[in-house]
Amino acid sequence: MRAVLLAPLLALLASLWAAPPARAAGLPTAEAILSKIDANLVYETRTATMTMTVESGKRTRSYSMVSYGRGESDSAMEYLSPARDKGTRMLKLGEEMWTYLPSIDRTQKISGHMLRQGMMGSDVSYEDMLSASALRERYDAKVTGEDVVDGRPVWKLEMTARDPSLTYPKRVSWIDQELYIPLKQELYALSGMLLKTWTMSEIREYPGGRRFPARMEIADALKKGSRTVIVFTELKFGVDLVEEVFSMRWLERK
Amino acid sequence: MRSSSLVRLAARNATRKPTRTLLTAGMVVAGTSLLVVALAWVEGIFSQMLEQGTDASGHVRVVAPEFAAREALMPLYENIPDTGPLVEQARGAPGVLGIYPRITAGVTLTVGDEIGDVFGLAVGAPREWFTERMDADASLAEGRWFEEGADELVLGATLARRAGARLGDEVVVLGTTQDGSLSPVKGTLVGITRGGNALLDRQVFLPLPKMRWLADIPEGATEVLIYGGHHDDAPGIAAGISALPAAAGLTVQPWTVREPWAGMVKTIGAVQGFLVFIVVFLAGLGVWNTMMMSVLERTREVGVLRAMGLTRAGAVALFVGEAAAIAVLGGIVGVALGSLPAWWLSHHGLTLSEQLTSNFSEQLPISATLYARLTPGTMVGSFFLGLAMAVVGSALPALRAASIQPVAAMRHER
Repeated sequence: MRAVLLAPLLALLASLWAAPPARAAGLPTAEAILSKIDANLVYETRTATMTMTVESGKRTRSYSMVSYGRGESDSAMEYLSPARDKGTRMLKLGEEMWTYLPSIDRTQKISGHMLRQGMMGSDVSYEDMLSASALRERYDAKVTGEDVVDGRPVWKLEMTARDPSLTYPKRVSWIDQELYIPLKQELYALSGMLLKTWTMSEIREYPGGRRFPARMEIADALKKGSRTVIVFTELKFGVDLVEEVFSMRWLERK
Repeated sequence: MRSSSLVRLAARNATRKPTRTLLTAGMVVAGTSLLVVALAWVEGIFSQMLEQGTDASGHVRVVAPEFAAREALMPLYENIPDTGPLVEQARGAPGVLGIYPRITAGVTLTVGDEIGDVFGLAVGAPREWFTERMDADASLAEGRWFEEGADELVLGATLARRAGARLGDEVVVLGTTQDGSLSPVKGTLVGITRGGNALLDRQVFLPLPKMRWLADIPEGATEVLIYGGHHDDAPGIAAGISALPAAAGLTVQPWTVREPWAGMVKTIGAVQGFLVFIVVFLAGLGVWNTMMMSVLERTREVGVLRAMGLTRAGAVALFVGEAAAIAVLGGIVGVALGSLPAWWLSHHGLTLSEQLTSNFSEQLPISATLYARLTPGTMVGSFFLGLAMAVVGSALPALRAASIQPVAAMRHER
């Protein structure tokens, strides 16, 4: 009797052991996907002009900025409008960040909790905005399936940070199968709580075959009814940036 | 038996066994004096908190309805954009003695080159609000208060220590505008307050124009605080303010409907009720014990009196009257004895450690020195509660005496 009951179970286990995961032959490895994403989103140098629109509740406000990026950890940004914020500059070199506040003509190093606060009250933190680190170096990933986002086929990736102290220790991303851009990302805390949802759209192609989104929409799950839309009006990669941009002299120039 | 005879009998009985009478009186003295001290102490602490709280947050407060609903988040964008008309009209409202627009916001501050680790609550209001309502000059531990138009500010002692700020230092305060943009102000530190209050000691005090600039609310404020002669006047003043045209669409709140004060009033009643219950119960238990002994000792005597025509009610009155007579004397002595420490506490108070006050609560302004409040009401109330102890304690023995059958009582062996 026992043999009769065990036989189908053993047969099922044997079949599972022998069969490859569903469509595994058609799935690229997670590392390959991450490498292609990094090839699109990580750059040597970049300049960008952008507008950031923050919607919270009934209120909407817009900022325009110009930013400069060098490698994965150096960046600089200057606010062009509104008038009250014009001339406010930010500089990030490695892990350190400074801001120049023109209204009091003073440069302050920003530390601690402030780095993770919403930039200008938006859903994007200073860290989010001024970092461009390669995902492949920071996360272990696995492809968990396929899906469709905005009518486009995507790979679904689950990423776990190698260093759990990262701001987002876990990410779930829906990667465009053709363009290798995360059309949608969910960013989680270590506890598993959803922190942010980040979508990218209006993907454009740049010299060298790089693809980059011209529009990003970020919603902080902890700020009910809040949404931030970033639109890049001008993007240039591989530009020659003068060394001065990434210096305190640039930050404090009049 | 006539009631005058009953009173005489009760008084005579009270002197027949001096030790037992002293024991009963001692219970009432202890209970009454304990009540005077405890009630004065509780009333003093809560009154102090209520007074400080309503001084800090207004007898009446006018805010935007959305601000009231989301106050914990301190939403700067839910403000009154122009407080001018409201202030102007409120000046003529009955009972109003002071009107002050105020803005509060979370900020980070520094005296060095690095910012982001020292947080405080920035409070911007007219200078008079600080001096007239917050007893600013008395709370200054160092320096002076700021001048209205100057680039000056004052820090609470805890915040100053955390920031490492000293008088004369240039302090940068970084907050956000009502739109969320980074917004810095800087000013010379001219004063450090030590209010003996954990909340106040973690605040940075700014002139209203500077705070308006920081929050980008050029003509307005998040709150308008209104004061009368006493915080008890708040409901009447609130009714008058609500009728003003400039208050249309705004939320007018007397302190009695705002937390934590509304809840505190209920808590005061509950704490006082609990204390009264415990003390009356324990002292009543002692009185019951001595009076029960008296009933047992006098069973034969009660039987004779009942045979002579003493009614059941008369028997009850005899023992309750005896206890009440003792309680009158005990109550007077108890109130006198209890008033001494209560008076001392109301003048000198007890000083708690800074650590204890800062840990006590994030929400309630707790002073480092807590004073009792001895009022005639507390003394009279404690005296009558002493009487109640005696009546409650003697009621059961008296009922037992009333239930004694004369024949059975006269056969009773002592």
